[in-house]
Amino acid sequence: MGSASTLHRVRRIAGIVLAVLLMGGVVAAVFAGRETDDKGTATKTVRMVIGSEKAEYFSDPAVVKALAAKGFTVKAETSGSWAMEGLDLKGYDLAFPSSQAPAVELASRYKVHGTLPRPFYSPLVVVAHRSAAQVLAANGLATLDTEHRGVLKMTAYVDAAEHDRTWQQLKGAGKYGELGGTLFISSTDPESSNSGALYLAAASYVANGGKVVADKAELDRTEPLLKKLVSVQGAQQSSSDAVFRDFVSGAGNPLVWVYESQVASLLTGGQKPDDLVVLYPDTTVNSDHTVVPLTENGKALAELLSTDPQLRRLAVRHGFRPQGAASEFASDTTYLKQELTGVRQAPVPTSAVLHEMARRARG
Amino acid sequence: MRRALLVSLTALGLLTACTAEKDPGLDISTPGVPGPAKPGTLRVLASSELSDMAPVLAQVEKDTGIKVRPTYIGTLDAVNMLAKGKTDGQYDALWLSSNDYLRLNSAAADKVVSETPVMSSPVAIGVKPATVSKLGWRPEDVTWSQVEKAVQDGRLTYGMTDPARSNSGFSTLVSVASALSGAQSALTDANVLKATPRLKEFFKGQQLTSGSSGWLATAYERRGDVDALFNYESVLKGIPGLTVIRPKDGVITADYPLTSLKSTSAQTREDVRRLTEDLRTEKIQREITERTHRRPVVTTVRPAAGLDTARRHELPFPGSSSVADGLLDSYENELRRPSRTVYVLDTSGSMRGDRLNRLKTALTDLTGDFRDREEVTLMPFGSHVKSVRAHIVDPADPQAGLAAIRKDTKALSANGGTAIYTSLEKAYDHLGTDRDTFTSIVLMTDGENTEGAKAGEFDSFYRSLGTDQREIPVFPILFGDSSRSELSHIADLTGGRLFDARQGSLDGAFEEIRGYQ
Repeated sequence: MGSASTLHRVRRIAGIVLAVLLMGGVVAAVFAGRETDDKGTATKTVRMVIGSEKAEYFSDPAVVKALAAKGFTVKAETSGSWAMEGLDLKGYDLAFPSSQAPAVELASRYKVHGTLPRPFYSPLVVVAHRSAAQVLAANGLATLDTEHRGVLKMTAYVDAAEHDRTWQQLKGAGKYGELGGTLFISSTDPESSNSGALYLAAASYVANGGKVVADKAELDRTEPLLKKLVSVQGAQQSSSDAVFRDFVSGAGNPLVWVYESQVASLLTGGQKPDDLVVLYPDTTVNSDHTVVPLTENGKALAELLSTDPQLRRLAVRHGFRPQGAASEFASDTTYLKQELTGVRQAPVPTSAVLHEMARRARG
Repeated sequence: MRRALLVSLTALGLLTACTAEKDPGLDISTPGVPGPAKPGTLRVLASSELSDMAPVLAQVEKDTGIKVRPTYIGTLDAVNMLAKGKTDGQYDALWLSSNDYLRLNSAAADKVVSETPVMSSPVAIGVKPATVSKLGWRPEDVTWSQVEKAVQDGRLTYGMTDPARSNSGFSTLVSVASALSGAQSALTDANVLKATPRLKEFFKGQQLTSGSSGWLATAYERRGDVDALFNYESVLKGIPGLTVIRPKDGVITADYPLTSLKSTSAQTREDVRRLTEDLRTEKIQREITERTHRRPVVTTVRPAAGLDTARRHELPFPGSSSVADGLLDSYENELRRPSRTVYVLDTSGSMRGDRLNRLKTALTDLTGDFRDREEVTLMPFGSHVKSVRAHIVDPADPQAGLAAIRKDTKALSANGGTAIYTSLEKAYDHLGTDRDTFTSIVLMTDGENTEGAKAGEFDSFYRSLGTDQREIPVFPILFGDSSRSELSHIADLTGGRLFDARQGSLDGAFEEIRGYQ
């Protein structure tokens, strides 16, 4: 049975990859179109496959211009980070998944040696409606630093989940009609989406006593909890973009697992949503946007993304945290933490373990 | 087991889609063949509720040059089509009220590239203000258990659309089941089982069913004695004189994701992306909420006046197809009131040959769609009613009743004239009154009335009926050389709806009418 379902999953992934490749064609075409009108400084054309959450960054005219100034024309195709494993990357200069685990897998497959550049990253956070955040805080499940920012205590949350705690059982929830039913965080489908998988990574680390899940015994031990975290949600969305948009529009669950970059990018766009509190889980995972350079040009581009001040500034504008100085990030500290103090970064299980974890949780 | 019903529906997905809801107005026509691909035009398979977006889409076309050509369809049919690859090359995008059900079907989910929510509307209850005050309700505080109690006490009757045909009906069913089961998280099979007695009780209050939201509203106004309607808030806000209530303890919200498909070209998906982007601009979001009473999905635009912004708990949608399909199955076969239908079938001389064969095939196929507990009467006529054969689909042995219907169908033969009105009068006499079923008459004829009672006589006959019997609608099917004006008069008189099988198929029309029975 295991092999059959694995096969099915592989087929699904292959399907996603194909689609994503086709879609990538669009992005590429757009870039190429822009570039040809531009001045002739661009000499090196770099082909890459990227996680969809970076598509906006790379199609930002300011980014295109900054890269052109350094002699690069970039053709980006988007793909789910986990789906990149099923791609044939021949002819590409680099792969740029949204997580380190798939990047490491890709590096070993394509015999890429040395440290993989991680130009920017984004921690996973929980966005909450104010009523929900206040009730969590009143019940020792969270602390609030400002009106719009706080910390989620993961051990307490995992405990609540294990005991099927409902909102009705929390003090102070009664005055908010919208808080009812089991207390849970909504995520994307962990089998198809990176952010959903990273939710399981963080929760399993906590449930495993502050240790990354690495073997079968640990998978077995954490399985009941993870299954619960997923099954209470019912139907899950497949894209982190859609869950965040639903939250912002006021529909759906009051607690949603998203990339910090999604919130940051919304704030830079000038929106200051009143009914949004960012809860940083005290144990979370980072989405490390990691480059797997496949050619010399790919390597050069990764270097540029990491070091060029203009490109780093633009990354911040799109909500990402550039590696290194935290001061570059998050001018809006009402909602966001500039430095991630008090937030423990759990390592992410290997790709194989994470896949298996997601499969079991959904099963 | 009755899942087969939905799958068989898919076979005529296109047809269903086409004859589906051209609301408002009582009659439907135009086949829904999506047509060939055309640059700048997106062929979109869409929820019927979206027909109210026409003026907004006209604005979008002005802005972007992208024209949307919708084909309306129910969620379940759309998902089945997608899963079977029937949308490949036929449609450029999908736009349902929600993709929740789609996600439960991995074959369908695999066909999707991206989805972006465009607007939202929760399932709500529209109640007559008089009923609200009689019940002593404060609209902003009403809970599901209050609604349940009012139904139990016989103080609240309602109408809703058929969950197997319509998105709003399906969302309503899930909301009701989640709320009444007391489930604290996503519904499970065990929740549904446990809630069955309460749900059965609850659905006794359902006095109106419909294949579409538009006809539901029309039937509601005509009947006058139904207290409430379940539907999307946006639909209810469009019906004058209803107090719209979002139960305090939970709603299911439709978020209308515009969905691009793998089977389409990169250029098409780029058009879908541009369309989505334009729909999410402040200008269009404002248009959407002002014109359609849906809620905007960007924070910078306020919901239209009259849309209460207090938050509501969101009931999770079931996480597996076995739960969702099981719920639907028990609704159709166990929970809802059963239907009683007389099929008044023209078997006059002109039906001989091909037409009679098509009728036989259509009826035989339809037996796959009858529900447990349903009473089906076949009343073939020529110069007079030839026979009256009633069959009941007994839950203990559904096949026996279905086999008997097929046998009677096989025995139909064509001869004689066309006594439409005399036969209809017989059908009304046969049905009598029955408050515990959804009762209706289907009239299929291929010609004009040639014998027996005249139109005027039937009008007098109908007007002389008691109130209960006057509530039985006739659903006439245009076929062969039948007269549109004659049949639409019958539909208007009796509160039915005209179906057109001249361009589509007879099977399609019969299937379509199922949503109204």
